[in-house]
Amino acid sequence: MRAGRVGKTALVSQVAVVVRRVLREPVSTRPLSELAYVLLAAPVTVLGVLYVIVSLAVGVALAVTAIGIPLISWAVPGTRGFTAFRRHRAAGLLGERIPDPPPFRPPPGLLSRVSAGLRDSVGWRSVRYLLVTLLLDVVGLYVVLVTWAWGLIALTYPIQFALGVNQSTIVVDGQVHRGLIVHGIVADTWPAVLLVSVAGVALLLLAPWAVRVFLLADRLLMRRMLGRAGAAARIRDLERSRAYAIEDVAATVRRIERDLHDGVQARMVALAMNLTMLNETLGPDVSEQSRNLLTAALDHAKDGIGELRHMVSGIHPPALDAGLETALGTLAARSPIPVDVRAELPERPTEAIETIAYFSVAELLTNVSKHSGADRATVELTETEGRLVLRVCDEGRGGANLDNGTGLRGLTERVGTVDGRLAVDSPVGGPTVITIELPLHT
Amino acid sequence: MSVRIVIAEDTAILREGLAQLLAMRGHEVVAAVAEPVALLAAVADHRPDVAVIDIRMPPSHTDEGLRAALELRRANSGLGVLLFSQYVETRFVRELLADGSSGVGYLLKERVTDLDEFTSALDRVASGGTALDPEVVTQLFGSRTDRGLATLTPREREVLALMAEGRTNAAIARRLVVTDRAIEKHIANIFTKLDLTASEGDHRRVLSVLRYLDGR
Repeated sequence: MRAGRVGKTALVSQVAVVVRRVLREPVSTRPLSELAYVLLAAPVTVLGVLYVIVSLAVGVALAVTAIGIPLISWAVPGTRGFTAFRRHRAAGLLGERIPDPPPFRPPPGLLSRVSAGLRDSVGWRSVRYLLVTLLLDVVGLYVVLVTWAWGLIALTYPIQFALGVNQSTIVVDGQVHRGLIVHGIVADTWPAVLLVSVAGVALLLLAPWAVRVFLLADRLLMRRMLGRAGAAARIRDLERSRAYAIEDVAATVRRIERDLHDGVQARMVALAMNLTMLNETLGPDVSEQSRNLLTAALDHAKDGIGELRHMVSGIHPPALDAGLETALGTLAARSPIPVDVRAELPERPTEAIETIAYFSVAELLTNVSKHSGADRATVELTETEGRLVLRVCDEGRGGANLDNGTGLRGLTERVGTVDGRLAVDSPVGGPTVITIELPLHT
Repeated sequence: MSVRIVIAEDTAILREGLAQLLAMRGHEVVAAVAEPVALLAAVADHRPDVAVIDIRMPPSHTDEGLRAALELRRANSGLGVLLFSQYVETRFVRELLADGSSGVGYLLKERVTDLDEFTSALDRVASGGTALDPEVVTQLFGSRTDRGLATLTPREREVLALMAEGRTNAAIARRLVVTDRAIEKHIANIFTKLDLTASEGDHRRVLSVLRYLDGR
């Protein structure tokens, strides 16, 4: 009995809580924020869809001309603004926080700009989201209309009735009725009018929950299309930007090498030539001191040229320009032990991959001559299933692993920057086979 | 001896500097061009003794000079070809020497600073000899330590390096300040140790030495 009474009291107090909640809900801030969200978001979606339809239609219509494709490439990232507006309203009014996608940063140059615009995954996702969400927003507006709008109209109906506004006039059985028509029944008597008002209260009490249920769908869609998919797209974007960074570094190093070759190195050689000519034309009356200074200057110039050459070959060996096979051939020729190079590459990998492959082989060959005790080595370069496979083998003492200071760990990290893999097969007593697998393109 | 020369070099300051330098030593620079097509035309027009060719030239700035040199050598017997580069690439050396080593050279650009050496290398190439940059030899040497080369004495190595540069016995003897006879003895020892058959003529031994060093 005691327990029953306690249970009953608890039930009563729980019901009281729910009732209080329901009664308070329409006048608390959250439903108003949600209402504001629906009312703000829907028109922007309509504008966004109009923007998509018009710009894509015009772009497609003009596709045969020079401006069609650029127009589309410009329009696609442009849709991000509409989605961003909705995301920001969702964060501010609903507390639904979807992380911002990475901003659109087109590379310089018209063509790159156009290509980046067409490949803007965030932009295309916005286009899809806008089209889908337009349907949802129609539902949302309808929900607001039948709950909030009708609720308010019904609630205030007694006032409207008293003032004679919002009255329809129909004739039923020869009698003229003036009043609000609900389901074919004219509310033109005070009891009916008050009943409408009560119905309005009910609608208003229901409104926050109806909108919330609708927003559940809206949030789900947003998370799905802008959130989780956003993470996948972010990974794709990161992969792309990493590839761009890697290729950019390779291209920069290559450009520095070229600039040095045509610039500083050429000037140093020219300087040495001029000093040589100066030396050649010196008369017999030149002092010993001057001659010594000139000789010293010439030596400095020569040393400078040599050092520069050494430095450049450490950042971008010129032989790489002629392809990986040529560069590895030169590398093998310089190796302290004889190296057989077998290379069969149907297509040239990108510059960055060639550079990584080259310096990996250089390091592995250094390892062979320093640590293995082998008297020769083999370098194999093949392509398997679209991947570049590099194999450096020796018949030395083996026992190489990632942790015995042979630099293999660093090498693993380095090939990892392009999703490459390094495998060590080196039993004690040899032979050692190090296999590096790289993508052909970053 | 005045040598008639065509220069192909795309960097203007080096093209002009080289022409000036060679002129100072009484050589006749009959044409100085900036790219391979003009080089082929200039050689056809002027029939020079030697073409001094930069390896990296337009359009791709990789090995156009080498390609042009090989083409010129095939088309013009007796034309000396001196590659002139800021780098030594052993692969290029091998390609250059593949058709024989008579009248070919490969020198680093900075070698012009020793004008006597440079002009003598040029003369060698003009008269059908060989001139390989000491760097080529060092690189190849640096790489092969355990194939008979390890058994060479320092003096024999020195002699082999000079041989590979394309020098005659007399020139090597002068350089090392010893008699011709001593050099001949060194060379005989080298050939024995490297298991090479000695043969007549400077360029053939360069070739055999290089082939050996190259592991082919």
